[in-house]
Amino acid sequence: MKKLSTLLVLLACLMACESVNYVPVATPQMAAATKGQRVDVETLREGRTLLVHRCIECHTLPPLRHYAVEDWPNIVNSMAHRASLKPAERDAIVAYIIAVRSTGQ
Amino acid sequence: MIRRNRKFTLLILFLWILPVTAALAGARHFTFLYEAPTSAPGSIELENWITWERATNSEQADQIGFRHEIEIGVTDHFQASIYFVDWSYARDRTQSSFSYSDSAIELIYNLTNPVIDPVGLSIYGEIKGGRQHLELESKLIAQKNFGPLILDYNLTLGAEWEEQGLQEHQGELQQALGASYELSPRISVGLEFLHEFVFPDWRDEEKIRNVFVGPNIAFRHQSWFVTVSALAQATNTPGEADFKVRTIFGFGF
Repeated sequence: MKKLSTLLVLLACLMACESVNYVPVATPQMAAATKGQRVDVETLREGRTLLVHRCIECHTLPPLRHYAVEDWPNIVNSMAHRASLKPAERDAIVAYIIAVRSTGQ
Repeated sequence: MIRRNRKFTLLILFLWILPVTAALAGARHFTFLYEAPTSAPGSIELENWITWERATNSEQADQIGFRHEIEIGVTDHFQASIYFVDWSYARDRTQSSFSYSDSAIELIYNLTNPVIDPVGLSIYGEIKGGRQHLELESKLIAQKNFGPLILDYNLTLGAEWEEQGLQEHQGELQQALGASYELSPRISVGLEFLHEFVFPDWRDEEKIRNVFVGPNIAFRHQSWFVTVSALAQATNTPGEADFKVRTIFGFGF
């Protein structure tokens, strides 16, 4: 019984960690929420794909709300070379993060 | 002797100078396990491995193994590596020697992502050849990222032929489990666990089982990273290393 409880606690901890991994699928609503920026849903999808593939080569993904929206372009830019990101790919990642933040996630 | 020392000094200098000129690198959280993500397309990275093993349970012997590897990202899901040279320095009570071991090609294909898929999977193949030595190795790599925590599992099947005419052969099955927690974007700490089954002459009569376990620490910054693991043997296999300390430092171009 004690082992089962330990296992359940461990699973709960892992699920709690999992929630900070949340990188929502890009949707038209998300594209529409990016006020003042002309971003299509395809760009957001590409940004999400790049975020979950390139960034985790070096580090795990932080919660997107961990940093201020205005800090994200510099954060991504500082690691763009290391992740072999072209300027358009870097912009797609930033657009995706800003879109996620704009929808309050 | 002087000439050999000079070459060795030049090699050390080369390895120290290269990081200054480098500009890109992925990073490893483990040294005895591979991770599921592959390198970015177009990226090139040089990795140097140093593994120190000490055995005392038959007679005391030390071996320091070196590997120099170049890793190339081919596509978003495929990477290729070349081990230019695996070489080692061995010492026991009576003698010491340097020796070339082998060179190798390694290919990794990533199937699923450890963040957005239920589990990140990659498959790995390696062919290694040297003087009186041929080895084939395949791995299944499974990884899951839970926020700052990385859980990693490798299942490895290897076949090895050695000695004159490659007459000696053995198989090896290994499972490895690792956990790494990212304290900050630059520093991770974790544990690695290895469980090996060795089959001399493809037989299991000797029942050789080795278990190693120990901590690791990884540091990464801009174009380079360094990861160190120290594993102790939890079994008591004669002739097998009591502990292994592996350092991998890598930097990109």
